[in-house]
Amino acid sequence: MEMYTEILVSFFLVVAGIFGLVGSFGMLKLTDTMQRLHAPTKATTLGVGGVLIASMLYFGLGKAQVSFHELLITIFLFLTAPVTANFIAKTYMARNIKPEELPASEREYGWAVYDDPPGRAEEDFHERERKGRN
Amino acid sequence: MTEGGGFLPIIAMLPFLGALLPGLMIRAGRNVCAVTTAMPTILALVMLAILAPSVFSGEVIEAEIAWLPALGLKASFFLDGLGLLFAGMILGVGLLITLYARFYLAGEDPMGVFYTYLLLFQGAMLGIVISDNILLLLIFWELTSLSSFLLIGYWKHLPEGRQGARMALAVTGGGGLAMIGGMLILGNIAGSYELTEILAETEAIQASDWYLPALILILLGTFTKSAQFPFHFWLPHAMAAPTPVSAYLHSATMVKAGVFLMARLWPVLAGTDAWFYIVATTGLVTMVIGALIALFKDDLKALLAFSTVSHLGLLTMLLGFGTPVAAGVAVFHIINHLTFKASLFMCAGIVDHEAHTRDIKRLGGLASLMPVTFAISTVAALSMAGIPLFNGFLSKELMLEEAAHTTWAGNPQIVGIVATIGALLSVAYSFRFVAHVFLGPVRDDYPHKPHDPPFGMYAAPALLAVLVVLIGVFPAATVEPLVNLTAGAVTGQEMHMHLKLWHGVTPALFMSVIAVVGGAILLGLHRPLDRLWIAMPRPEAKVIFDWIVRQAATVSGRIAEGTHNGAISRYLAIFTAATVVLGYLAWAGGGMAPATREMLPIPPVVGVGWVMLLGATLAVVVMHRNRFRALVLIGIIGLMISAGFVYMSAPDLALTQISVETVTIILLLLALHFMPKETPRESGPALRLRDAVIALGAGGGVAMLTYAFLRRDFSTISDFHLENSYSGGGGTNVVNVILVDFRGYDTFGEIIVLGIAGLTIYALMEALLAGPASRRLRNWDFSRDRSRDRHPLMMVVATRVMMPIAAVVGLYIFLRGHNQPGGGFVAGLVISIALLMQYMASGFAWTQGRQRIEYHSMIGSGVVIAGLTGVGAWFAGQPFLTSAFGYVHLPPIEEFELATAALFDLGVFLAVLGAVMLTLYSLSRIARYAGETVNIGPMDYDPSQPPEEMAREEAERREEEG
Repeated sequence: MEMYTEILVSFFLVVAGIFGLVGSFGMLKLTDTMQRLHAPTKATTLGVGGVLIASMLYFGLGKAQVSFHELLITIFLFLTAPVTANFIAKTYMARNIKPEELPASEREYGWAVYDDPPGRAEEDFHERERKGRN
Repeated sequence: MTEGGGFLPIIAMLPFLGALLPGLMIRAGRNVCAVTTAMPTILALVMLAILAPSVFSGEVIEAEIAWLPALGLKASFFLDGLGLLFAGMILGVGLLITLYARFYLAGEDPMGVFYTYLLLFQGAMLGIVISDNILLLLIFWELTSLSSFLLIGYWKHLPEGRQGARMALAVTGGGGLAMIGGMLILGNIAGSYELTEILAETEAIQASDWYLPALILILLGTFTKSAQFPFHFWLPHAMAAPTPVSAYLHSATMVKAGVFLMARLWPVLAGTDAWFYIVATTGLVTMVIGALIALFKDDLKALLAFSTVSHLGLLTMLLGFGTPVAAGVAVFHIINHLTFKASLFMCAGIVDHEAHTRDIKRLGGLASLMPVTFAISTVAALSMAGIPLFNGFLSKELMLEEAAHTTWAGNPQIVGIVATIGALLSVAYSFRFVAHVFLGPVRDDYPHKPHDPPFGMYAAPALLAVLVVLIGVFPAATVEPLVNLTAGAVTGQEMHMHLKLWHGVTPALFMSVIAVVGGAILLGLHRPLDRLWIAMPRPEAKVIFDWIVRQAATVSGRIAEGTHNGAISRYLAIFTAATVVLGYLAWAGGGMAPATREMLPIPPVVGVGWVMLLGATLAVVVMHRNRFRALVLIGIIGLMISAGFVYMSAPDLALTQISVETVTIILLLLALHFMPKETPRESGPALRLRDAVIALGAGGGVAMLTYAFLRRDFSTISDFHLENSYSGGGGTNVVNVILVDFRGYDTFGEIIVLGIAGLTIYALMEALLAGPASRRLRNWDFSRDRSRDRHPLMMVVATRVMMPIAAVVGLYIFLRGHNQPGGGFVAGLVISIALLMQYMASGFAWTQGRQRIEYHSMIGSGVVIAGLTGVGAWFAGQPFLTSAFGYVHLPPIEEFELATAALFDLGVFLAVLGAVMLTLYSLSRIARYAGETVNIGPMDYDPSQPPEEMAREEAERREEEG
């Protein structure tokens, strides 16, 4: 393997390691859930991303094979990480933040987590009615 | 198979096949029903008659249908003289009973049921007497116990009937269990389970140390069946049955089965001291005790029942003597007893039928009212008493002759004297049967005015009475050849018995005279003796039996409640501890070769994984009361195990493990939502300590076992699978080939189980939601912790994007399964996960609305497809589930393989998918009950639509739905 390839691969691996470490450290160090939400995202995106780039370089330059597996992993990471973060945040809000603490939504309807979507409040009422009758 | 052998299995099967008919034919009327019942019996009799000449010429007819020859399991039959005699008796009397029962049974008795039971019983008896394989014989033996239970308890509205049936089943069935043990020992000694071969091994068997245990166990079976003292008590209680049943069971069949078996095994078991002292003594005691009790019984059938006990004792005693002549006499008496006893039972039934009572004290003077019945009864009773010119005389005379020549424990007289006492008592009760029922003045207080029954009812006993006289007067012309043939079959040597009326002045003649005169005197003294008998305290068998049964029930109840108290922790504790102890015993038993493999170094990454696995496991133990936390930890364990599979080069297992893990966690999460979030503390410290000890023992044991196996080289079936996977199953993925081919039957069973589990969850949920749980669910208030945005945009879009990718991955995994890691099971799980994501993202109602195939039918079609694939092999002349494969080349893509295994895999796929989704469906039903709202759109906030429009659409939609 060429020297510069090795250096490149090593560089990305080291970057990945540093971000992984920082992410884990953040998980432990940060106190608030909303703050802690940031730490693992670093670890997943940059940390794992670094390993993936290193892997692609290793196979692409070192072994002259084009590898697409890493791209797939990246896609899945980019899909799942935000959804997870979104869910954790929503859950945190639903459990810990009162609607009064939030600013107004400045629209006709309230915030998603707290207020029923348009048309839904009425349905809830119907639903309860049905249950009462059964 | 010898010539004519083909008839034997048919003879054995006919009654069972015939048993299907009466229940149907009763709709055509009682006569048709009776005729239909007689048909299989007549057919079997005809076949027997065809075989009879060759049997008489000394041939033994054999037939054999191999079933599991490796285990010695064969349906083999043989017919020799003994079998012929008994088969003839069973069928002949069966025919007479069918006729008699037609007239005996009242209009309200279900006749079809009766005839069905009768034929079942007849088939079981026939099976006993013509079986060659003793395992087959044992099955028929137990069948007689079961079918006689049905017959005795036929009048199930009567408590006596039910109790009598239960007692008969308990005693004869219990004896049957002992006999199974004895027969197996016998077969083991002889090295064969074929009677014909066992009978040739006399010396080996009698010399064996196991002879005595085998003898005792077998005798337990025969003594209980043949009602020998002290097991005689069930027989009188079985008299609660309708009289045709009593006549059949207690003259020709059921109770004779024990005698038959003693006769059958006579050549190998008889002749030793143990045999003589056990069998002859028991027989002698039974004969006297039975006759004594019979004399004082007022119930006609009870009298006959105890007389049967007495006569069975006589037969047993004769067989116990161990001499060929005595065995021959026993055979002769079997025939005679059958004729007079069946006839007497039927007469007792006629009296009961006509006078509406069987109490001797309420009868008397029936001779002029029922002359025909009187004549038949008198002939039969005199034969039973042993009066010359009737057949009972001949065999009783011969019996006394044999008894007079037998020495018991050095005393040459005792057997003769006791036998004479038995005969004397027998004369007394026989005379009583005639004198106290038919003779004397006509009374005017019968419960019902008696008169002779229609011809059909007395035809059968009359025929038997004619036989009694014929045999009694012309024994040499009528039964001598049959007796000699049968006795030859019993003893295994040529027999030349000469049956004649006058033997000259022998000791037996004097004994006979003493018996007859003494019996008559005894009857004259009956009134004072009867008073004395009633005043005397005597043990009541039923009370003792009931006490024993109660005690046994109490003890087993205590054991059952001690071990099966409904707490799953106790079952698991017992099971686990027992397994550990057994494993320890196996290990301590030695035979463990020294370790042959070196320890491998532990790579750091593996070490880290191991530590994580250990840490997660310990954490589960510590934190298991918080259920969500425990679930997360279980997820870690599952992932580490999958990684372990990858490390051990088992990609298939890893794939399966990961997908199973994912599905399980999701479903558990959904279920936990409706359950308490904390596990309450239920057990005290002592119990927890016990559980800890058991858990550590079991875990440590498994660890040690694994360690021991990993350190040793040994060959397993894996090598076979590896070698034959490609050549035999057409796949290079051995795991998949094992699943769909080598062990396809297992997999087929498993997908059925999986489907059943899915359906059971659905059914349980149905029951749950109909019960009190539904009320609790409805009162459950989720509104506090429920987000108003349960189907967020991001999640919905992400899962939509993932859906086709996941589906393609599933398809890919399915298709490559045969040669590379994958297969129907994993593919099913992957698709389930893809669908589960849809359900979670967009809600159940919306997703369900887009589902076209019902999950129930998906499970069903999966099982059907897999089954049909297996059936397909039959058309190629192969066994079920044999797979076929070939290679196809379509130009644009690579050459690929088509195997029927893939079709089978499709069935697996569908069943897995259906089961998982049905479980999800069940869970979401709970959610609906708990008041979760039904979503109509895919997401709660749809930015592509303005809120006003959304609200309007929703309102419209609800309008349409009403």
